[in-house]
Amino acid sequence: MRFPALLALSSLVLACGGSDDAGTLLRISGSAVGAEGEILTRQIARYQAKSPGVRVVIQSTPDDASQRHQLYVQWLNARVGTPDVLQLDVVWTPEFAAAGWILPLDRYSPPRRDSFPASLEANAWQGRLYAVPWFMDVGMLYWRTDLLARPPATLDELAAGARRAASGSGFVWQGARYEGLVTVFLEVLGGYGGKILGPGHEVLVDSPEGVRALTWLRDLIRQGISPQEVLTWHEEETRFAFQNGQAVFLRNWPYAAPLLAGPGSRVAGRFSVAPMPAAPGGAPTAALGGGQLAINAHSRFPDAAWRLIAYLTAPEQMLERAEAVGQYPARRSVWSSPRLAAALQVPPDQVLRIVESAAARPATPIWTELSDVLQIWLHRSLAGQAGPEAALREAAREMERVIERSGLRKGIP
Amino acid sequence: MRRSGRWIAALALAFLVALVAFPFYWALMASFTPEARLFESPSLWPEQPVLDHYRALWNERDFWKPIRSSLIVAGTTTLFCVSVGSLAAWALARLRFRGKNAILGGLLAVSLFPQISLVSPLFLLLRWLRLIDTYPGLILPYLTFAMPLAVWLLTSFFRQLPPDLEEAAAVDGATPWQTFRRVLLPLAAPGLATTSILTFIYCWNEFLFALSFTLGPERQTVPVAIALFRGQYQVPWGQILAAAVVATAPVALLVLAFQRRIVQGLTAGAVKG
Amino acid sequence: MTERRLAWALVAPALIVTAAVALFPLGWTVWESLHQHDLRMPWLGRPFVGLDNYVEIVSDGRFWGAMLHTVFFTAVSVAVELGLGLFFALALNRVFRGRGMVRAAVLIPWSIPTVVAALLWRFLFDAQAGIANAVLVGLGFLDEPVVWLVRAATAWVPVILADVWKTTPFVALLLLAGLQNIDPALYEAAAVDGATAWRQLWNVTLPLLRPALAVALIFRTLDAFRIFDLIYVLTGGGPGTATEPLALYTFNALFSNLRFGYGAALSVIIFLVTFLLALLYLKGLGSLTEEER
Repeated sequence: MRFPALLALSSLVLACGGSDDAGTLLRISGSAVGAEGEILTRQIARYQAKSPGVRVVIQSTPDDASQRHQLYVQWLNARVGTPDVLQLDVVWTPEFAAAGWILPLDRYSPPRRDSFPASLEANAWQGRLYAVPWFMDVGMLYWRTDLLARPPATLDELAAGARRAASGSGFVWQGARYEGLVTVFLEVLGGYGGKILGPGHEVLVDSPEGVRALTWLRDLIRQGISPQEVLTWHEEETRFAFQNGQAVFLRNWPYAAPLLAGPGSRVAGRFSVAPMPAAPGGAPTAALGGGQLAINAHSRFPDAAWRLIAYLTAPEQMLERAEAVGQYPARRSVWSSPRLAAALQVPPDQVLRIVESAAARPATPIWTELSDVLQIWLHRSLAGQAGPEAALREAAREMERVIERSGLRKGIP
Repeated sequence: MRRSGRWIAALALAFLVALVAFPFYWALMASFTPEARLFESPSLWPEQPVLDHYRALWNERDFWKPIRSSLIVAGTTTLFCVSVGSLAAWALARLRFRGKNAILGGLLAVSLFPQISLVSPLFLLLRWLRLIDTYPGLILPYLTFAMPLAVWLLTSFFRQLPPDLEEAAAVDGATPWQTFRRVLLPLAAPGLATTSILTFIYCWNEFLFALSFTLGPERQTVPVAIALFRGQYQVPWGQILAAAVVATAPVALLVLAFQRRIVQGLTAGAVKG
Repeated sequence: MTERRLAWALVAPALIVTAAVALFPLGWTVWESLHQHDLRMPWLGRPFVGLDNYVEIVSDGRFWGAMLHTVFFTAVSVAVELGLGLFFALALNRVFRGRGMVRAAVLIPWSIPTVVAALLWRFLFDAQAGIANAVLVGLGFLDEPVVWLVRAATAWVPVILADVWKTTPFVALLLLAGLQNIDPALYEAAAVDGATAWRQLWNVTLPLLRPALAVALIFRTLDAFRIFDLIYVLTGGGPGTATEPLALYTFNALFSNLRFGYGAALSVIIFLVTFLLALLYLKGLGSLTEEER
């Protein structure tokens, strides 16, 4: 009698359906792992305590950007109302706004004056703000204080200082074929005074500044200042290289600082941060990263969602986050707090300089597609498969094609 | 086979098994190595073995939950596909009717559609059925690849069995159903066992559907849970490898339990003609 | 009940259940592929464009690159897996002590989730911390560590090794089950006739193993053609797009670039190509059910 029983059993499990929810239940998608998850859980518990009738649940999504993006696309395209509050990568806001998946926030009076210009630029679409900056990430230069007296003031000084280093890896940065590479390029490009796109979607990346920037990066590898491995490295590999004492300079995000200062690090107490330097004619540029919070356009409780966002992005909570995780607050007013000095690995006024030099990537809905094209050609050139000028020209041509197809230059009805 | 031939075969086998087992051995060693040491120069044996990663799995990650989910989903899918599939396979292997190739071809075609393309419409369908983040909500999509696999494998196995015993049973007056249950199934035990294991492991490994159709830790399966270990930049290798080691345990046990069935030869005294 | 009715009654549950879950997505995808549907730009609407997406695909260099990568990967990994799988199956078919443990050991790579296996092999081939370089340099095969993932040619090595490592067990198990069904008396008869081991393999084993080989070949080829997770995690399709297979390109089109119409057309093409392959196999290897009629 085994056979029919097995069949019945399996059909029974199949027949059980799902359950239903009721009440003001907010779902927020955010990191549920590690210190970030802990602090979020704590703040949400506090919020629930002071907001009777509201329950908040963290919906865990992968931290890997493209996996999270895929889930969001799926849910939002299917008009699912949860998560009500979405944690967005800084480049997703225009895309989601254009698709109609997140709500414009101006009617809730978001803290515009207290935010940094680059953040506002990144989170706006067609003049309206669609997401509130939650924490900021900026690309910066970590340098060894025991090997150098002061940080390099120009890009050439950086290369020279790295070249003089005894060990193999003078300067390590993320050169794998992914978005991180574009952020590195953005910083060097800004250092030479160039831009990727103009305000009207003009492609500017193949300008002389662009060629100079790409050449500078390529020469780092050619001259052995950066090991060839950087072309396969993401953030962690570069951090380990610096942490094990093998590199003089590291370009990375703020998350690395507490790890570099912690136990197990050979450079604890022997490093500091500085803005990525510039060349004559350019300005020090830090690529803007970080997280923002937005409201799902199909959420059943948009107003409640806003109140949660307002709470999480209030100065007190931002400060707490800085203390717990080391993430930089996205509100200017928080930077003058003495508690911040104790929380960050590096003196806040130094970091503030970097934060103020932050530059957003072009705020366009088609950024992922454009970045894809740019990544491919940058990587090809760095790997020696194409000259910098030819590579940027090809990249520009393909980017033109993408922009043409989108109809964005002609304006949106 | 001559003596020397046998030795060569044995050596070759040992070498290959070592190659196959080595990455897993490496993963095992790494799961006992403290995180900081993992990226330094590789060594074959951890200098200071630690249990941190395994402890984290249970204390921080509640790793038994995804294991439970995976067992339920993979187990149910396999049970269902093997039972329903064996009925179909018997018909395809033994009975005479037209359209066999069409059926097999049709089932195969269904499993050919790229999974990534199925994700969006399946999501819409499951949502309409209110099955998102439920066990049936995973089992149903899994049928798209598990059922064709099971039917194809079982048909192939049934096909290879000698029909003599079944014919003898028919002559003795047994109904088709009795023949199926009492004669064919026991004979086909190796094929059933193999199909079950293969289907189970297919479901166990599946990632994209599980990621897309579950929302929280109660229903997420092992591959999804492991994928969620990753931070934005950091890959907690130690924990991931420890999780992998732990996750292979149920499957390894399953295989050990079934492997004798797999290689059970023809029943003693079977009619050979 | 006539035989025909009984047969359809038995086949029906499997068919109905599969069709119920699969027909809507299939139909939806084909429908999407005939429209222009870019989620990022809803103001462009969702116009019916007929075969425009397909035309664009045909002139898309990246598509043909992905096709090439997929064919290459499929050919190499399936060939290696079949060969190795056959070897393992033959070896495991002999009676020896510890056979059960070896069988279980051989299956372990396959039971590790693909995502983990990919990470593991990426780790093994890491330029600095990976054991691959350490071993090759230590044994003198290499002068200095190779940065595997930076060049197209070397990036394929960990990818193919990872896939072979992972799925040879599937092939081996399948072939082993097939071997079990071969009557040992046939070998004895051949030996009596003076056949060597090699001849026995060629004349007795392989022909009788044809159905199992066919199934293994079909499923492995079709799976390899749709490879996604492994490459997504191991190389991300890099360097550049040098290891990007069709499925990953489709993923990018759908979920990175949000071009659902285009992605749907890519999916249909993948489906048609794999279906064609399946048909070719079935014709070439003989149908499973009509073989001996």
